[in-house]
Amino acid sequence: MTVFDLALRSLRHRTGGFVASFLSMFLGAIVIMSFAAMFDTAGGAGVDAVSEETLITMASVVGGWGLVIVLFAVISTMTLSVRQRAGEMALLKSVGATPFQVGRMIVGETLVVAVAASLLALPLAAGGGWFLLEMLQETGQVADGVGYAFGSAALSIGIGVTLLASVGGAAVAARRAVRMRATEAMTAASIETGRMSRKRVIAAIVFLAAGLNCGILTATLFDGKGIDAMQTAGQASIWFSIGLALLGPVLVRPVTAALAGPLRLVGGAGGYLAVENVRRRTQQMAGALMPIILFTGIATGTLYMQSIENGAPPAAGSSIPPDEAQAIETLNFVVVGMLSVFAAIMVINTLVAATTYRRREFGQQRLVGSTPPQVLGMVGMEGVVLAAAGVLFGSIGSIVTVFPYSLARTGELLPDTTLAIYLGIVSVAATLTLASCLGAARKAIRVPAVQAVAV
Amino acid sequence: MAGQDITRAGEALRLVQVSKTYGSGDHPVRALDDVSVSLAAGTFTAIMGPSGSGKSTFLQCAAGLDQPTEGRVFIDGAELTGGSETKVTKFRRQRIGFIFQQFNLLPTLTVLQNVTLPLRLAGKKADRKRAIEILGRVGLRERIDHRPAELSGGQQQRVAIARALVTNPSVIFADEPTGALDSRSARNVLALLAEAVHEFGQTVVMVTHDPVAASYADSVIFLADGRLAGSLDRPTAEAVAERMTHLGDQVAPYAAVGE
Repeated sequence: MTVFDLALRSLRHRTGGFVASFLSMFLGAIVIMSFAAMFDTAGGAGVDAVSEETLITMASVVGGWGLVIVLFAVISTMTLSVRQRAGEMALLKSVGATPFQVGRMIVGETLVVAVAASLLALPLAAGGGWFLLEMLQETGQVADGVGYAFGSAALSIGIGVTLLASVGGAAVAARRAVRMRATEAMTAASIETGRMSRKRVIAAIVFLAAGLNCGILTATLFDGKGIDAMQTAGQASIWFSIGLALLGPVLVRPVTAALAGPLRLVGGAGGYLAVENVRRRTQQMAGALMPIILFTGIATGTLYMQSIENGAPPAAGSSIPPDEAQAIETLNFVVVGMLSVFAAIMVINTLVAATTYRRREFGQQRLVGSTPPQVLGMVGMEGVVLAAAGVLFGSIGSIVTVFPYSLARTGELLPDTTLAIYLGIVSVAATLTLASCLGAARKAIRVPAVQAVAV
Repeated sequence: MAGQDITRAGEALRLVQVSKTYGSGDHPVRALDDVSVSLAAGTFTAIMGPSGSGKSTFLQCAAGLDQPTEGRVFIDGAELTGGSETKVTKFRRQRIGFIFQQFNLLPTLTVLQNVTLPLRLAGKKADRKRAIEILGRVGLRERIDHRPAELSGGQQQRVAIARALVTNPSVIFADEPTGALDSRSARNVLALLAEAVHEFGQTVVMVTHDPVAASYADSVIFLADGRLAGSLDRPTAEAVAERMTHLGDQVAPYAAVGE
C-alpha cells in the first residue's frame, strides 16, 4: 500500500476531522475565484479603461488578502487536526514509517481535500463573480455594457491559490508534527513552560511597529487628504492586531489575574478550576485567543473607518474622485466580511478542537466528583476569560485605525459615530467563543467518565 | 461476604443480586451475574479473578461509576440509586473515594490543590490543614506545591490516596492501584492502604490481579465468569496464587462449552 492509499483511507475514516480544513479551503476558493473572475471580465472586449481599473483593483486587493487568509486558516486548521492525531503519527512511526512518509501522508490528505474543495467551489464561485459584477454595475462603478466572463484567470488563480495555500499549510503542519516525538506530544499537552520563543516576540514587535507606523502616517501624512488616508489606516489595525495576537500568552495573564477574584466568587469550584487552567495553559489559550483578537480588531477598525468616512465632509486634498469612494466602501465591506468569516471559522475550529482534546481531563474531573454542570461551568468561565481578553486586545488593536483616521478626517480623536457596530462585533465574538467551548464540552462529557479516561 | 452478618450496623458496602449485561440482541455479555456481597466497615477486601471475570464491572457498579442492569447497591446503608450523572456524582463525592491505576490527577493543579479538589467540588471549605496533614501521612509533606508531572508514579498514587482520604468516605475503591508501579512503590502504596484501614478505620475495596497485592487485604473475594467463586480470609500471596490457578482450571472448560 502506498502512502497515498493510506492518505485516502485515513480521509475516508475520519471525514469529521477534515471538515474545518475543507470549509476554510472551500470558502477561500469561492472568494478567490469570484474575484479572479474580475480579471477575466476586465479582459473582455469593449471594456472601458475606468471599468477595467476598478475590476483589476478589486481582484488584486481582495485576492491578495484572500491568499494570506486561506494560508493562515489552513495552517491553523491543519496544525490542530495533525496535533490531535499525534498518537496515530507515533504509531505509524513505530511500525516503520519515516518522518518523510508521515509528512507525505499529511500533505497527500490535504491535497485530496483541497482538490475536492476547489472543484465544489466552482459553481458557487461562478455565481459569486456574477453577483459581484452586478453589484459593481448597479452602483455605477463598472459600465453596464461590460459582459461577465468566468474563464482561465478565475480557474487558474482560484484553484492554484487554494491548492498552493493548502499544501503549504499542510507542509508547515506536517513539519511541526513529525519533529515532535509522541512522548513530547503527550507531555506538551499537560505541562508547558509559558515562555514565548524569541522569534515570536520579534515578529510581534515588528507587526506592532508596522501597525503603529501606519496609524501615525494616517494622522500626519494623510491629515486633510480625505479618503486617501484609508491606504494606511485600513492596514494599521490588521498589523497591530496580528502583533497583539502573537503576544497572546503574555496578554492572557493580566486578564486572568483581573478576573480571578470575580470568577472564583461567582463560579465556585468551576470558577476556581477555570482560573487554574488558564494560568497553566497560557500557550493553548493564546492559540484560541488569536482569531478572537483578529476578528474584533480588524472588524472594528475597518467598519469604524468606513463609518467615520461616511460621516465626514469631502476633503479638498483627496486624490480620489468621490465616485471611486463608493468602490472603496464596497471593497472595505467585502474585505471585512471575508476576514470575519474566516476568523469565525478559526475561532470555532480552534476552540472545538482544543475542547474535544480535553475529553480525558473532563473525565478525570468527573471521577473526582465534578458534576456535568460543574464541568460546563468551568469551560464557560474559561470562555469568559478568552472572550474578555480577545475583545479587550482586539479593541486595542482597532484603535490604531480608528483614532488616527478620525483625527485625519474630522480633527477629533474620538469618532462621532454609533456605538452599535462595536456592540454588535463584541457580542458576535463573545457568542462564538462561548458557544464553541460549551458545545464541544457538552459533547465531550456525553461519554461515560470511565471510558473517557481510558487511554 | 467473608462471614459478615448482613444486618450489622457497621456495614460499609452491600450489593444485592447485582447483575450487569452489556449489549443486547443475540449475544448479550453478562459481565456480572447475580452477585450479592456485604462488607463490614473498617475492612480491607481484595477482589480477584482472571481477566474477563467481571471484577472491574463489580467495582464500577459498586462505586456508582456504572449502573447495574439489575440489583441494588448500598453504601453505608444508603442506596446508591440510579438517576442523572449529577445526582449520582453528588452521592459519590459524599461517600466514596476512588483510586485509579492511572492516578487521574489533574495536571494543571498542584499536589495540595488536587487533594482539596473533592472538598471544593462538594462546595465545602478546602481544609488546607487537614489536607497537609494527610499528605504528611502519605509522606509527601515536602511536595505539596509540585505538579503531578513532577512526581514519580508511586508519589502520584500516594497523592491519589490522600485525595481519596480527604473526604473521609464510607468506602474507598481502588482499581489496580499498583498496576502502573514498580514493586517497591507498589508495596509502599499497599502498606498505606492497609494503614488507612487498620489505624484510621477506613474501608477499602481493591481490585487486583496480583496475589502479592491481595495478600495485604484482610480477605479476598474471587470472581469467575461474573459470579462469586469463593473467598479467603487472612490471605497469603501463595494461597491466593494457588486459588487463582485453580479458578483458571474451573473456568476454562466451562467457557469452552459455554461458547
